[in-house]
Amino acid sequence: MTDLRAAPSNASRTSDRAAVPRALRSAAPRQSRSGRKMRRAGWLMVAPSIAHIGLWTAIPVIATFALSLTDYNVFSAPRWIGLENYVEIWGDPTFRKATWNTVVYTFWTVPVSMAIAVVIAVALNQKLKLQNWYRAAFFLPQVTATVAIAMVWLWIYNPQQGLLNAALAVVGIPGQAWLADPDWALWGVILVGVWQGIGIKMLIYIAALQNIDESLYEAASIDGASAVRKFFSITLPMLKPATFFVFVISIIGAFQVFDQVYVLTDGGPANSTTMMTYEVYRSAFQNFRMGMASAQSVLLFAFLLVVTLVSRRATRSDAE
Amino acid sequence: MAITTAVRPIPEIGSPLPRRRPRSTKKTVGRVLGYVALGLAAAGVLLPFFWMVMSSLKTNNAVFSVPIQWIPETFVWSNYVDIWQKSDMSTWLKNTMVLSLAVTALQLLTGSFAAYGFSKVRFPGRDVLFLVYVGTIAVPWQAYMIPQFILMSKLHLSNTLWSIVALQAFGAFGVFLMKQFYETVPEELSEAARIDGLSEYGIYRRIILPLSVPALASLTLLTFVNTWNDYLGPLIYLRDPNLWTIQLGLKSFVSQYNAEYALIMTGSVLSVLPIAIIFMVGQRYFVEGIATSGLKG
Repeated sequence: MTDLRAAPSNASRTSDRAAVPRALRSAAPRQSRSGRKMRRAGWLMVAPSIAHIGLWTAIPVIATFALSLTDYNVFSAPRWIGLENYVEIWGDPTFRKATWNTVVYTFWTVPVSMAIAVVIAVALNQKLKLQNWYRAAFFLPQVTATVAIAMVWLWIYNPQQGLLNAALAVVGIPGQAWLADPDWALWGVILVGVWQGIGIKMLIYIAALQNIDESLYEAASIDGASAVRKFFSITLPMLKPATFFVFVISIIGAFQVFDQVYVLTDGGPANSTTMMTYEVYRSAFQNFRMGMASAQSVLLFAFLLVVTLVSRRATRSDAE
Repeated sequence: MAITTAVRPIPEIGSPLPRRRPRSTKKTVGRVLGYVALGLAAAGVLLPFFWMVMSSLKTNNAVFSVPIQWIPETFVWSNYVDIWQKSDMSTWLKNTMVLSLAVTALQLLTGSFAAYGFSKVRFPGRDVLFLVYVGTIAVPWQAYMIPQFILMSKLHLSNTLWSIVALQAFGAFGVFLMKQFYETVPEELSEAARIDGLSEYGIYRRIILPLSVPALASLTLLTFVNTWNDYLGPLIYLRDPNLWTIQLGLKSFVSQYNAEYALIMTGSVLSVLPIAIIFMVGQRYFVEGIATSGLKG
């Protein structure tokens, strides 16, 4: 297609090229000769990245679907079993629990950390002294590996010696076993997720706030609007695009939660904190059921797709 | 509302001063409250770090003492000597450093290069290709990590550091970040260079790249930190203890020496320290990187 279009003009160019003095030549034939050169350069420049993603992402994505229809334990050849893996998942209470936990985790961590992030971002946007230090403090959990900080959280949640129960005792609330209690463990994981998730959302909000036209606030001040009123009538509506972006990446991130669960609870007690990604990991690398793990991956992907599209719909129509 | 706007202008013309004073006192009060609230919130967020550092300087018995001991009675600095003998900390740190540096260097190169193609060179299908390419960021890695692992094993690369390098050498996020930055570089610059007869590679290397230092700095920091902190990738690919990264090593140390609380904390501090320093020094670039990739996305 492109060759056909380029060929005739290119041929005519080469014939009169010799006649044109060298100095004049460079500008005139840009459309064709160097146009083709440019196209080739463009393709060559993006080719390595495209090839990489083709090999390590596109092919594996397709292979996941195919593998999900097989029984494969790495040591012997895959055996075609149709939809059997999906049937098994359907009747598997653990994976159902994992799906539910993932939804609950996402449902709480995303809005809560977003709300905290927006409030902190607005507060930090007041050109405070030490602003950089505050910003660094709120962002630090984000750049800290979960493994390193997990021991601290295990201490905070420790029923006997932990900080949380000690703090609750001060106000007279009886302590809990937290991570050891199936009713509370997921909340413990959620709190760590919120703590770690504030930083990046805050940074995006701060950047977005700096783009809001100052005159809007000045006009509102003249009209006698209070700070709270300004927040709800100017700041939040103006942050809508940023909010939408943060919302989508947060959901995608929350669905992939793994580290917290792996290092804090190992999915327990009684599967109360297991997540979809954790089940995929368990099936593949502890039980060596690659086909089953692939089927679970497909479901994770499908679920995430649906949730993203639905929430996108919801926030989009909300904006209009 | 209509009344206020009609009435307001009248006092305003004559007396800007009296209106200013109550507002400024109210503002100061709000400001002080803001400082206090922010200070408390920041302290809360930082509390786990404070306890981690302090516990790394305690004796084992003092770590979980009741009532909580915030400052150690005696500072046990020897923890920071013992950890190197009791664990393979040096191997883990070396592996993590090698991986982080290699991955970061490669991503800078491949990301800035591909982004030039997507941003400054016009060729048919470019924009669709870019959308599809960047769209892969939204596909969770867990959705295709299993065939990827099988493929890597077939190539006999799993259980080597090469596996992580091969996977992370290219990154759609890096391309996206660099492209966002290139879009702010005026088109005339590359056009002029083209007229002067510079090849596309020449424009990339001699004009665009030197201008992109801030974006490259952002990408460096974000990639380095991500690679340093990565857990699931190394967990799957690096089975041999000699290949473990600091995260994997620390996790195994925790289960192996689960009573050595103080040493566990020492190890945790050592694993966080490089990242914390890098973050403090390069905070500006983190913020800019996240702002440019986040805002226009």
